[in-house]
Amino acid sequence: MMPEELAIRIEDLSIKYKINIDTKKTLKNAVMRASMGQRVRMRTIEAIKHLTLDVPHGSVLGIVGANGAGKSTLMRSIAGILPPTEGRIIVNGKISTLLALGIGFNPALSGRDNIILGGLASGLTREEIEAKTEEIADFAALPDGFIDMPVRTYSSGMYGRVAFSVAVNMTPDILLLDEALSAGDASFKEKSFNRMRELCKEARTIVIVSHALATINELCDSAIWLDKGTMLAKGKPEEITERYLKFLDVGTLPSNFEDM
Amino acid sequence: MSSQQEFAAKIQVFEPHRASLPPLGPYLREFWRRRAFAIELSRFADKAEYLDSKLGKVWLILNPLLLAMVYFLLVSVLRGGGKSHNGITTLAHILIGLFTFYFAQNCITGGALSITAGGRLILNQAFPRALLPFSSTISSFHQFLPTLPVYIVVVLLGKWIFPQTQVPAASWSFLWVPFIVIIVGMTGFGLSLLFATMNVYFRDTNKLLSYFTRIWLYASPVLWLPEMLGGWHRAILYINPLGPALSATSRVWIEGKAPTLSEVIGCIAWALGSILIGGYFFISRERDFAIRI
Repeated sequence: MMPEELAIRIEDLSIKYKINIDTKKTLKNAVMRASMGQRVRMRTIEAIKHLTLDVPHGSVLGIVGANGAGKSTLMRSIAGILPPTEGRIIVNGKISTLLALGIGFNPALSGRDNIILGGLASGLTREEIEAKTEEIADFAALPDGFIDMPVRTYSSGMYGRVAFSVAVNMTPDILLLDEALSAGDASFKEKSFNRMRELCKEARTIVIVSHALATINELCDSAIWLDKGTMLAKGKPEEITERYLKFLDVGTLPSNFEDM
Repeated sequence: MSSQQEFAAKIQVFEPHRASLPPLGPYLREFWRRRAFAIELSRFADKAEYLDSKLGKVWLILNPLLLAMVYFLLVSVLRGGGKSHNGITTLAHILIGLFTFYFAQNCITGGALSITAGGRLILNQAFPRALLPFSSTISSFHQFLPTLPVYIVVVLLGKWIFPQTQVPAASWSFLWVPFIVIIVGMTGFGLSLLFATMNVYFRDTNKLLSYFTRIWLYASPVLWLPEMLGGWHRAILYINPLGPALSATSRVWIEGKAPTLSEVIGCIAWALGSILIGGYFFISRERDFAIRI
């Protein structure tokens, strides 16, 4: 079905979805509208248009693009969260994701409980996740005692650290990171980068979405530039980020290289 | 890197599918494989609500118990009082009926919210979404179990105070209880799938549910006895998804008899029907959830 060296194969992928641009989605509103003979106004969003892409095992792919370019949609479709409208995605390996915003379970639960839930949700058995919990907690290296405190007491940096630790310590074959590297301070970032390099050495595959172009340049072997759902360019990260910057017409401002 | 070898064989293909079912075999296998997630999620949800504490458990029992008292008073007043031993029978009937009804109601109201409340989780990870309502069903079951000993204690107390009370505190018919509990759980889970899907599309489903469940309670043989209905009114017992199960509950717990054949058939029909209809509705649309949330 697909060559063995590939981790992800995307064939002519298109993703469209309809969004309701009217008021709140309630039964009451629907009935009111119907009684007045109004139709629900929908807008079709073409998030991804005819995208074809191969990602080999052991590579790090960066995705750049403006807000609304379809980066997150693409990541979710690779993770199997969003179904393709057309085309096909073939994924070879276990996926670990760090998409929207961290692990996002119950803020009333402790970090440790959230780690266990995160692991179970991603398909680990209870024994597997219990064996890993300590490792994940150590990696997150929260200030003393925080790991057993409710997540609602965390700072956003601490929250991001736990989420990132869960994602990278699941021994995924394919790791999908969407704006996840902004978690934590400089030392944690360094640690994250090292961990990702280790994962690459183990022939695992990483896909990174980031507005921090320096991160893309530093970590990735290749990069693609998405714009309005279309892949405009594909190539070496430095070339892609440079072209992307020119396109934005903001020059090589330091802010573009800063991690957000 | 043995773990990698292990996973290397795992190839997934994502292809378009709209309002039709995904391959059910893999779906159900994944669902079963990740059942520990649903169990832990329910346990942790209870923990977050402090329901695992002693006082939390007391509250779980006290709440339906107090409600049963309120309904008991209401029913007694409406009937203009009665003989004392009938009083205990009425109370026992209301108690066990309410406990059972609340089991189903909790499955549905908790499950209905589980998808819209699971926003981040749904946006972040791919897993069979039916695990979220299933987790609510497990929670409801855990809340339901401790109410059974409470019922027995109340009946024993009643028999002690009014020795002529006919309600059994133990009976061979109680062997039917696991059957009824499974039926009520299945019906509740099936309907929760239906309402969870509806709640994704119409966010006020949840509010409507509170009216719906109240009407449903009054249309169920909880505050009245199934025998009170005659003629075509008996149809209510079978149109109501919990009708057969609650009739059977009354027969098993209050009369100490086995449920009738038509009750058993009604129970199974509604349980399977709810799971099939709710399951179809839910699974065929669940890949849409990530967009709608």
